[in-house]
Amino acid sequence: MSSLSKRLTGVAVVALAAALAAPAGAQGLKSYDSTKKEFWDHPPADWFLGDETEAQKGLTPKAPPATGVPLEEIQATLKNIKLPKGFHISLWAANIPSARQMAWGDKGTLFVGAFGVGNVYAVSGAAGDKQVKVVIKGLKMPTGVAFYKGDLYVADIDKIIKYEKAEANIDNLGEGKVVYSDMPSYPAHGWKYLVFDKHGWVYVPLGPPCNECLPPTSVSQIRRVNPENGNAEIVALGVRNSVGGDVDPRTGDYWFSENARDWMGDNVPSDKLNHIKKIGEHFGYPYCHQGNIPDPKYAMGHKCSEFTPPVVKLGYHVAPLGMKFYTGKQFPAEYHNNIFLAEHGSWNRHQYQGARIVRIVVDPQGKNAKQEVFASGWIKGKQDFHGRPADVIVAKDGSLLVADDWAGAIYQISYKK
Amino acid sequence: MAAAAGAADPAAGKAKYEPCLACHGSGAAPQGEVAPILDAQPDNFVQWQLVYFRTETRLDAAMTPISKLLSNEDIRNIGAYLASLPPPKLELGKDERPELSEAGEQLAKANHCASCHQEGYVGRDNIPRLAGQRESYLLKSLRDFKSGKRRGGGVAAMPDAVYPLNDKGLQALAHYLSRLR
Repeated sequence: MSSLSKRLTGVAVVALAAALAAPAGAQGLKSYDSTKKEFWDHPPADWFLGDETEAQKGLTPKAPPATGVPLEEIQATLKNIKLPKGFHISLWAANIPSARQMAWGDKGTLFVGAFGVGNVYAVSGAAGDKQVKVVIKGLKMPTGVAFYKGDLYVADIDKIIKYEKAEANIDNLGEGKVVYSDMPSYPAHGWKYLVFDKHGWVYVPLGPPCNECLPPTSVSQIRRVNPENGNAEIVALGVRNSVGGDVDPRTGDYWFSENARDWMGDNVPSDKLNHIKKIGEHFGYPYCHQGNIPDPKYAMGHKCSEFTPPVVKLGYHVAPLGMKFYTGKQFPAEYHNNIFLAEHGSWNRHQYQGARIVRIVVDPQGKNAKQEVFASGWIKGKQDFHGRPADVIVAKDGSLLVADDWAGAIYQISYKK
Repeated sequence: MAAAAGAADPAAGKAKYEPCLACHGSGAAPQGEVAPILDAQPDNFVQWQLVYFRTETRLDAAMTPISKLLSNEDIRNIGAYLASLPPPKLELGKDERPELSEAGEQLAKANHCASCHQEGYVGRDNIPRLAGQRESYLLKSLRDFKSGKRRGGGVAAMPDAVYPLNDKGLQALAHYLSRLR
């Protein structure tokens, strides 16, 4: 036997031993076969759990209170929310556990998706007397909801389900009809946000089942789907975890928020606001973060200049989620076509930040961007919350509604001179 | 001193929890073999499971109907009461299967269980304490996560965490964790 084959045999034995020992501290690389569908049904859990660093050890995502925040506490928090002069915040509806994306029906019903429970809610009724109903239950994680031409669309991780004539059938929405399902079933970064444009495309984010890994492009992208026929197009690549976006009323371009990777430190990297100028642009993940920080592991062979940088660096671990261009008439004229963005707040940072609404003023081409804090006061101490904004939507009267999945409530921000 | 508005009342939680002991008590209630012991479980974990049952996110023949009788206040009080109890101390006999304990310890390390369940597997926030739980219940839970039967919470981690493990592995984990004190 030549020395070469001896060595090869030796390597094979070591690899086998490591595999048998289910490597607790075993040396050597793990290998994954990602070519099979089964792999994407159950991605290895250590893709999420393996990146913890000594410096950030012990930081974990925080669960909201299971029953929401009691009304008296919500009211006390709202008294302390800071807003620009002339703006006022009040409780619009409560008892909506895990409230995430909101969508208006044509007749004034507000549909609300959820993260922690499998419910979709409908909120209706007069001001000060909002009725909350669970209209869909038993889904996995129906975070994303959209309303288009009388029908309600719900994104439940690997399915987009259409409920026809949703306001007319509000008490009996039935099973709905799956209009698109070419998406993987893993929950991690599988929660979604849905945005229709005026042509009937619905924009859908697909995130990787990891903090930082080299995913196929199919699970690190934004695509748009035509629910009429199931056709889909890729509109952005290199996207990590996006749970918010909107179509610019000035141009029809899609803008989206994106959560940057964790475990690099308290002050790196920044979360992002992106603008898709041309179909198929690559936004950097997993090679480059915040437009100018090469990933310590995956950047090899790449330069940040290959990728589209963010329009706005939103801040470290602020967790940007839902966003809307302001198209109402109630706020002062300078707010017209500004972006309001809900920041959910940190977990992978020693001093939490975010948990606020930011206002972004930016040209249609993505130039001259400036951001300012619009509504804040939901961080409690170093690592706790009074509430966590998850989405915003403009109401018919021009006020801005804010969904809070920590408190299980929706607020209304109004302006009066 | 009067409790702050909305603050949980563990004494009220204790009263409400009394009937639950038939299954969840630490005694050897025969029907309780697949019910967990809830002493010293984190407050928010208990609350979330009750909310999962109440919203039919998690389905169980016994717990789904019971949970519907509970108000938000009841749920907060029960959570506060259980979290205030000392950890269960089931009598720890001689380990008849030390090789299983050893394998379970290795698997728990290799699968990063402590990332969420914390050092000593004592739980935190909405993540359950595993140390000292009934072996039969731990095994049932692990199997339910693996088969996809268990819903609500943990869906973003547990089904994938247990997916690569075979039933022997699940048995080893349950055996090891149940014997931690």
